[in-house]
Amino acid sequence: MKPFNPLFSQRGASAVQVTVGIVVIAALFAFPQFVKSPYVLHMMILFFLSTLMGQSWNIIGGYTGQYSVGHAAYFGTGAYTTLILLSTKEIAPWYGMWLGIAASIILALIIGSICFRLRGPYFVLASIAVAEIVRLTALNLTSITKGAEGILVIDIPAFKIGETVITDFSSKVPYYYIALVLALVIIGVTWLVQHSKLGYYFQAIREDQDAAHSLGINLTIWKNSALVISAAFTSLAGSFYAIFVKFIDPSTVLPLDLSVQIVLISIIGGIGTIFGPVVGSLVLVPLSEALRSNVIAEGLINSGLVSETSGIGIFLKEHLAHAHVLIYGILVVVVILFMPEGVLGYFRKMTAKRKGGKA
Amino acid sequence: MAILEIKHVSKFFGGLAANSDVSFEMSEGMIMGLIGPNGAGKTTLFNCITGYYPPSKGEVIFDGKKMNGLQPDTVCKLGMARTWQKVRPLAKMTLLDNVMVGALCRTNSLRIAREMAIEQIKVVRMEHKINFLAGGLPIGERKKLEVARVLATQPKLLLLDEVMGGLNPAESDELIQLILDIKSQGKITQMVIEHDMKAIMRISDRVVVLNSGEKLAEGSPQEIVNNPEVITAYLGSEH
Repeated sequence: MKPFNPLFSQRGASAVQVTVGIVVIAALFAFPQFVKSPYVLHMMILFFLSTLMGQSWNIIGGYTGQYSVGHAAYFGTGAYTTLILLSTKEIAPWYGMWLGIAASIILALIIGSICFRLRGPYFVLASIAVAEIVRLTALNLTSITKGAEGILVIDIPAFKIGETVITDFSSKVPYYYIALVLALVIIGVTWLVQHSKLGYYFQAIREDQDAAHSLGINLTIWKNSALVISAAFTSLAGSFYAIFVKFIDPSTVLPLDLSVQIVLISIIGGIGTIFGPVVGSLVLVPLSEALRSNVIAEGLINSGLVSETSGIGIFLKEHLAHAHVLIYGILVVVVILFMPEGVLGYFRKMTAKRKGGKA
Repeated sequence: MAILEIKHVSKFFGGLAANSDVSFEMSEGMIMGLIGPNGAGKTTLFNCITGYYPPSKGEVIFDGKKMNGLQPDTVCKLGMARTWQKVRPLAKMTLLDNVMVGALCRTNSLRIAREMAIEQIKVVRMEHKINFLAGGLPIGERKKLEVARVLATQPKLLLLDEVMGGLNPAESDELIQLILDIKSQGKITQMVIEHDMKAIMRISDRVVVLNSGEKLAEGSPQEIVNNPEVITAYLGSEH
């Protein structure tokens, strides 16, 4: 047996890794200078947003092992706080988002104090239940949230420092940079967590709560800390989404679907790893876009594999776009069966095998 | 001065008395053996002492403080640490990380925790496996991992729940030596649950015998092996 640990590597980054990292980040910052297509920028923004959401969940789910399937609650809280403040009080989003974070932290502490009494599957069910309560509240509290009608804003106020206008949000580019910075920040935060006492305590709780408890770890405090960090960044993702899309309603920012998608980003990429959610987003964002725009059905038909007029062809064209949940389901089954440590864990294992070590 | 006083501790699960009216004292630096047939309530007593169960009646006094109602993490910070009969390694973390989790109870710095952990890993002689995943270690090494991990929390009182269970004679010997080494340093008092009579007689200064939740006898190892009631409890009255 060779010491190999895909989930908890303490080795520092090598010079090559650091160089590659800097080059990639520099390339991402330069990207909008060369690529002007709003569609491509849009996809990149979704990718960064997905990384932010997945990585936020990873802190509570991947590192601490508390599988919250109710993260839509924090996403929605961030989105609603930001847009309600903007549309009714004309408070700019970059102030509103901080209030969103504060609201989400309060919500997280309430949810944590209730749900963390439960373990394993019972915690999962409780987290779903609480998120559904939040969704139904938003749906019925029409005086504040406008209920199912949703909230629409037309203009995002220009971002100024003093009198200098930094950006007026007239193109995708400012969103691109905000999303990129947020994604980098959450990756940095995860790195800091992993390389501090927090990371050790979170993982000890994940591995064995009773053993952790006997080693002086106060379960309530540390589980709630993990949830608060996670909720704060999920809320930030919600605030960003709200000003990016400019329209929210309970079925887009608070549904159970969204909670599940947030979980999948990490599970597919590899939970409890820094780059798992990045890899998960690389898989899921293009996949969901391909399903939405029906390129898969059209591709199959155009390639001649499936006749357009056959039963299968008609079925694919009409229904595949709505079948994303089905495809996600299949993807999860495949990942759990063949790559239980996620795509990233799978490739690390393969590389280790090629180098002659046993994983 | 007694470091640990158990005063009339009882623990009921519904109508079942897992411990009833158990009392004894431990003085600093000693090794107390805790023995008894299966189901005698040894592990329940451990759980009552370390905060996993609140005792139904009675008091646990450690270092002059009443421990009833304190949570296990507080108990650990006050200087009482326990191992588990069924080992509980943090499987996906390395040996070093496991022991560091223990050390982090006393420091917030990873660097200091790493030094403290390496020191304890040397005590259990496992330096060569420092970066191995805990989940992949064989049972004997997992037991030693648990010992290193609790030692890293810098306890005054160490409670070892069947650390030799499931080990071969060579491994048992190694752990016996380890327990005696800890004693000879004079800083840590130990309470040891064990089924291996030869081992318990060799290491213990005093022995408490539990039977059906009650304290049956207490004395030096020599007194215990000659006590007719203890022999009856273990071997039956036909002996």
